[in-house]
Amino acid sequence: MNQSADTPIVSLHNVSKSFGRVFALEGINLDFYPGQIVSLVGDNGAGKSTLTKIISGTEDPDSGGEIIIDNEKVGKWSAARARNRGIETVHQNRALSEQQSIYANVFLGREKTNRFGFVSRKAEIAETEALMRKIGYTSKVWNPTSTVNKLSGGERQGVAISRAILFESRLVMLDEPTTAMALSEAAEVIEFIRDLKKAGKSVIFISHNPWDAHMVADRFVILERGKVVYDAPKGDMSADDFIALLHKFAKKDQL
Amino acid sequence: MSTEVAKTKKIKELIPEVYRPVFGAAIFFVLMMVAFIVSAPEVFLTVGIYTAIFLSLPLFTIVGLSLVYITAAGEIDLSFPSIIAISALAFTWTLQQTGMNFGLAIPASLLTGCACGWVNGLLVTRLGLSSLITTLGMNFALVGLTNILNNGVVRGLTDINDSKIRAILVGSWGPMPAQMFWSTGIAIILGLIFHRHRFGIHVKVAGDNPEAGRAMGVNIERTKTLVFILIGLCSSLTGIFAVLLNSTFFPTMGDGYLLPTLAAVFVGGTPVTGGKGTIGGLVIGAATVVFIQTGVVAAGLDGYWTSFGFGLVIVFSLIGHRRFSGKLTR
Repeated sequence: MNQSADTPIVSLHNVSKSFGRVFALEGINLDFYPGQIVSLVGDNGAGKSTLTKIISGTEDPDSGGEIIIDNEKVGKWSAARARNRGIETVHQNRALSEQQSIYANVFLGREKTNRFGFVSRKAEIAETEALMRKIGYTSKVWNPTSTVNKLSGGERQGVAISRAILFESRLVMLDEPTTAMALSEAAEVIEFIRDLKKAGKSVIFISHNPWDAHMVADRFVILERGKVVYDAPKGDMSADDFIALLHKFAKKDQL
Repeated sequence: MSTEVAKTKKIKELIPEVYRPVFGAAIFFVLMMVAFIVSAPEVFLTVGIYTAIFLSLPLFTIVGLSLVYITAAGEIDLSFPSIIAISALAFTWTLQQTGMNFGLAIPASLLTGCACGWVNGLLVTRLGLSSLITTLGMNFALVGLTNILNNGVVRGLTDINDSKIRAILVGSWGPMPAQMFWSTGIAIILGLIFHRHRFGIHVKVAGDNPEAGRAMGVNIERTKTLVFILIGLCSSLTGIFAVLLNSTFFPTMGDGYLLPTLAAVFVGGTPVTGGKGTIGGLVIGAATVVFIQTGVVAAGLDGYWTSFGFGLVIVFSLIGHRRFSGKLTR
């Protein structure tokens, strides 16, 4: 399926997800390799978000499907387990607790604590500060102890993204990370995704914006109505060709 | 007017945002105490009134602490008065049955309280029921169960008056009732957990954005269940203290806790919308509420004024919190 000699970080075998009688995903087979950026595109309701939720462990697949991590079939899959295996997600709704501080959000579910579970605030604050500086999200107005509801949309996304790389993540999924963002902010996010690739991480990038999706991708996966209808490396496909391809599937869908 | 606004702004900026609710509650408490002292100096400048208030204040504080947790977790618990009663019954009954064996009676009471909280937690998190209605129903059920089990008896415990445990728990340490020290200790522990422990963060996230918590691998259901159990535990402690103070069990022991304790949470500056809360504020809020109950009467006003004063305090303190700490709703 893919030329990469590495073993996939995540493989999905025959994964389906139905809500009542409606299939959000149907018989999905996909492999995600290290150091590869996969642009996952498709119309609203094509199943993109459901797919990321299954990989990130927040949604269970229907029985019969298999999630394979590093060539090893996983039994009970959960958000905590996914994170332990280096799979981090930046959710569409940003998954931030807005009334908590930035550092508490960065370390949410992974708090640095002493033996008794008390949080080492100094260490968390220092690491958050270093992280924010590293990715260029600096501001005079707020610091790691500010609450998230003080931040702009782009800054919030910065918190969510920096959380995804802070830990030993190997696969980062970004679900519509640039939606509702100013152009300059979106450009920063795109730059950031390239940095992830340079660092050897695998990225699944979901976007409504075909230019963004084309720009960052090594490989395209197109979903339509819960099925994979296209899966190939980018090669030398131009942005125009890519958009034409998307239109082709969209039109087919209407017939 | 405008300079006044500018001034409040300046004062506000001196205080870090997280501490504003506590400061707001403290300022309100001080103003109230000044009013009491001015109106009845002969009462409020003597030690007696404080000793009297410090007898009952810790009981409200202990159970109120756990209510800060549940409010921050975005849920509510109205069943704690009945948990106070039923775990007080468990305590008294075990003492009577075992010939005053505190080593059995205290765990029996704590377990009863925790079990009630656990049931609340399961109903809310597993069945997805509204905590308001579940615990309202639970309150009726447990009041009924307490009456059924107790069978109309008032249980006097005259022989505990000279027990050592009673002296340690509710005796006098100098001019201060021992329970003040206990409630202070519990407040410090629960304050550290709420503001500095992983569990406290998860509680607040559960009330603010449970989806965010789940996505990051936090077990929101378990967190909420543990908070309901904590309420059971604290209610049981309050019940034990109440029995020891009165040397008597009566089935209506939990009555009179519901509204003052909830008021203490909000007067203390914990917003009703969940996601945050303040333990320091609760300690001050509980003091405010208990001082009003006693103070209105002590100030020479008719007892009928208590509720009225109470209402004014709640409304004014909320207005104050809003101006001082910003919006309390999201």
